[in-house]
Amino acid sequence: MSHTLPSKSERRHACCSFAIAYLTLFLLLPAYAQEVKRSAPSMWEQSVVTVEVARKQYEYYQPWTKKTARSQKPALVVGERELLTTAEELYDRTLVRLQKYGRGRWFAGEVSWIDYHANLALLTCSDSEFWHDLKPAKLNGTMPPDGTLQIVRWRAGNLESRRAEFTQFAVREGQLAAVNHVVLEADSDIHGAGWGEPLVANSHVVGLVNSHEGHTCSALPASFIQNILEARRKGQYHGLGYFHFYWQPALNPASLARLKLPGEARGVLVIQVPPRPDGLPQVLKPEDVILSIDGFDLDIQGDYEDPEYGHLMLENLSTRGKWAGDEFKLKIWREGKPMDVTYRLPKYDYSTALVPFATYDQEPEYLIVGGLVFQPLTDSYLQSWGSDWKNRAPFRLTYYRGEQPTKERPELILMSQVLPDSYNIGYQDQRYLVLDKVNGQRISRLPELRQALEKPVGDYHIIEFVQSDSLKRLVLAAGKSEQEATDRVLKRYGIAHPYHFNSAAQ
Amino acid sequence: MFKKLLLVFIVAAWLNRCLGADPERSVIQITTFAQQPVWDAPWRFNSVQRMGGSGFVIKGRRIMTNAHVVSWGRQIIVRRYQDPRPYVAEVEYIGHDCDLAVLTVQDSRFFDNLQPLEMGELPKVRSAVVTYGYPAGGEEISYTRGVVSRIELEPYGHIGNRRLLSVQTDAAINPGNSGGPVVQDDRAVGVAFQGLAGLENAGFFIPTPVIEHFLKDIENKRYDGFPNAGLRVTALQNPAYRSLLKLPDDNLGARIDGVLPISSTEKVLKEDDVLLKVGSFPVANDGTILYQGNRLSAALAFQMAQNGEKVPVQVWRAGKRLDLSLPVYVYNEDRAAGYQYDSLPRYFVYGGLVFTPLSLDYLRTLGRDTPASAIGELYYELFYHRSEDPATARPEPVVLASVLPDSVNANFGVRGRAFVDRINGVRIERLEDVVKALETSTNAYDVIEFLPHDGFETLERAEVAKANSRILETYSVAQDRRL
Repeated sequence: MSHTLPSKSERRHACCSFAIAYLTLFLLLPAYAQEVKRSAPSMWEQSVVTVEVARKQYEYYQPWTKKTARSQKPALVVGERELLTTAEELYDRTLVRLQKYGRGRWFAGEVSWIDYHANLALLTCSDSEFWHDLKPAKLNGTMPPDGTLQIVRWRAGNLESRRAEFTQFAVREGQLAAVNHVVLEADSDIHGAGWGEPLVANSHVVGLVNSHEGHTCSALPASFIQNILEARRKGQYHGLGYFHFYWQPALNPASLARLKLPGEARGVLVIQVPPRPDGLPQVLKPEDVILSIDGFDLDIQGDYEDPEYGHLMLENLSTRGKWAGDEFKLKIWREGKPMDVTYRLPKYDYSTALVPFATYDQEPEYLIVGGLVFQPLTDSYLQSWGSDWKNRAPFRLTYYRGEQPTKERPELILMSQVLPDSYNIGYQDQRYLVLDKVNGQRISRLPELRQALEKPVGDYHIIEFVQSDSLKRLVLAAGKSEQEATDRVLKRYGIAHPYHFNSAAQ
Repeated sequence: MFKKLLLVFIVAAWLNRCLGADPERSVIQITTFAQQPVWDAPWRFNSVQRMGGSGFVIKGRRIMTNAHVVSWGRQIIVRRYQDPRPYVAEVEYIGHDCDLAVLTVQDSRFFDNLQPLEMGELPKVRSAVVTYGYPAGGEEISYTRGVVSRIELEPYGHIGNRRLLSVQTDAAINPGNSGGPVVQDDRAVGVAFQGLAGLENAGFFIPTPVIEHFLKDIENKRYDGFPNAGLRVTALQNPAYRSLLKLPDDNLGARIDGVLPISSTEKVLKEDDVLLKVGSFPVANDGTILYQGNRLSAALAFQMAQNGEKVPVQVWRAGKRLDLSLPVYVYNEDRAAGYQYDSLPRYFVYGGLVFTPLSLDYLRTLGRDTPASAIGELYYELFYHRSEDPATARPEPVVLASVLPDSVNANFGVRGRAFVDRINGVRIERLEDVVKALETSTNAYDVIEFLPHDGFETLERAEVAKANSRILETYSVAQDRRL
């Protein structure tokens, strides 16, 4: 994710400001009430509310511990008893509260629908009083001719409206999923945005800001959101899909000439077609030239002319009103001949990668045996190295992210660390080792590991790691001493449970 | 009798003083004018750099110094203590793995009245040493006194991927000290060679056992290097593993966890063998030996042998003690993963595409701050592939280092830093494969495929044939290849 989170100090400041605002409100309530009576609220005051989210925060290097985090973000009234915001910060939530007019009473809220892949969520509130004097916003804005926009949010009890200037529509990877889709980019001096602030023009909402880096705000465009909400209402939305193949621009005329494509240079070159995660056969082959997708002709850079947004990268077609399971008509050029193929869009799923992209709404999985800590290798685990985790986490672990899962090895289990104990003496410094086999059984998931540990080799556990430049094998005593060591380690290190498994994969 | 003895002593002391037995008189100031090749444009050289270092006279009218003081030297100038005359020196032998070199001086007058420094023993920890040399910041000789802080196997920075015996001292070792002697009781006990960034009051010197190994190696007029048994030895301290292997409870023996694909080693030793003794050194369960009062990695015991010598080893295998003999050799298969010297980089230019072997030197051209994650495929191939999966590792992975712009390659999307997988359908194992695949093809097009995602680029062969000489001329590339 390229998202720039507000610094912790900024967030702390926001919380303090809220506390001060709350006290001020309490003391001056009669004056405030009079002020509300004096001036009619503007339409954005009636359509933008504040969401406060309390959530669990995990330390993946100590997966048995959790902290709590609290944050605030905007949401937009979009229908009867319906609020829209981005999904970010709503994962692992324990409490959601809503506030209107930037001050005053908090109402209990709940998430009625969330899609992390699309980074969208709908919220509601069962208290009728909350909905009194709120009005739905129009989520169908068109860009004003001069490109002038406003970013709206509640800030310290006031409605802040910051100017933003439209720069372009582009196709970028999603904030919470590796799915490419259209975004609206705008320049603004606003600070700390990117949490779902409505981007408005005149009386319409043109998007929700979902990332902010430097002066560039990136927003989910209204039509992208609308398409998903509409399909969901009709029961046609099955999640985002994506093109499960690699392609490259056909900028080199010699490549097209070798593939004997006649006429004007066009299309893109398919270069790699990994097996589909849903097991269906791939209809594309390396060296196919994709000429058009669903009637949209592709140029040699891989762009098509979008009726709404202009030139966009072809990846956007996978989310332009088409969802997982939907079919596309592709015109391709293969081995000197034109062909039509039908491409069914696979569903994006975090868990189909060798190193899952995310594990939202799930506590970290782990298993402790005699002080040896085993965990799945996930992006969430790697992110415990901090914001620069792609460079700071051990190279060999991050490099697995580029490898494809196989039937034999759909996921990776890591011996992440050893909690020192007399039982594991000699192994205390070992860490970040990927499991290959335990007691002769290949291991890709934690339940497999637990099963393997139930079948020791004689009196021993033989733990083998994937071939690397580090340790290849270790042996531990099985049986009573193992159980005693596990109990001792749990007690000494203050760990409540020796393992946590999630029953359902995300 | 006593008077005679006293006279002999006085005369000897006087002679010693007159003939310059003070260590500083044997210390040499070295100035090297060095020129390194450009690894991503291998036909070019960087500008000439003036580098200062030190050395000292040893037996046989030679100067001992560091390899890094004289590497890539176009001219080496040596000066005697308090003598302004420059003399031209030449490298006689150089060991890049141990960062040592011996120089000769054509003008025999250089050695007149110069006494070689005798070699001492490995100094004791906490004993005092003095470094002599010509560090930056002045022209005169400099002395710094310190104590021996630690003796260990340390990475040698000159080559980058070797660990040999090294001594840490708190005597200041600064740029320019390199190659100078570290002296104890008027004997050289080491060659100052490196510091460590971020570590204050810590310099390192190459101790006598390494120097003597180097000098013995060159006795046959050829330098081979330090052998590598190719073993990854790991501690065997967990009682369960020791029990599984039925080892006596005597705290001896470390486990062989991995063996490099070296046939001579694979014939003798196996994974899970327990190393009980190397040479005359018992191996402790943490993988160390006791060497002159210092606990050091058992790798040292193999390094003490010369290339091709047999090292007696005792192992525990299948519940029995076995006495074996392991021939050890210099291991060069990983040379690209260390810094390379002496040989100019290999390359082949075709249609403006610059192909060169993947190496640490090449990766360094991408900038020191380039994170490994930004060049993942290249980084993995250079440092991990061989140890993880030797069967599929390429002997000499090749990169498309850069593209010299020309109309023939103007539409290439790949402009360099790319790992070459196949050319015209041929898997590229080494640079010669590139040449063969491109020069023997009879197709109308050349297809170059890259990893990781099998992206490819195409060249029209007829156009390349016309462009090759034009490109070489435009970019002043004298030869299209160095193989």
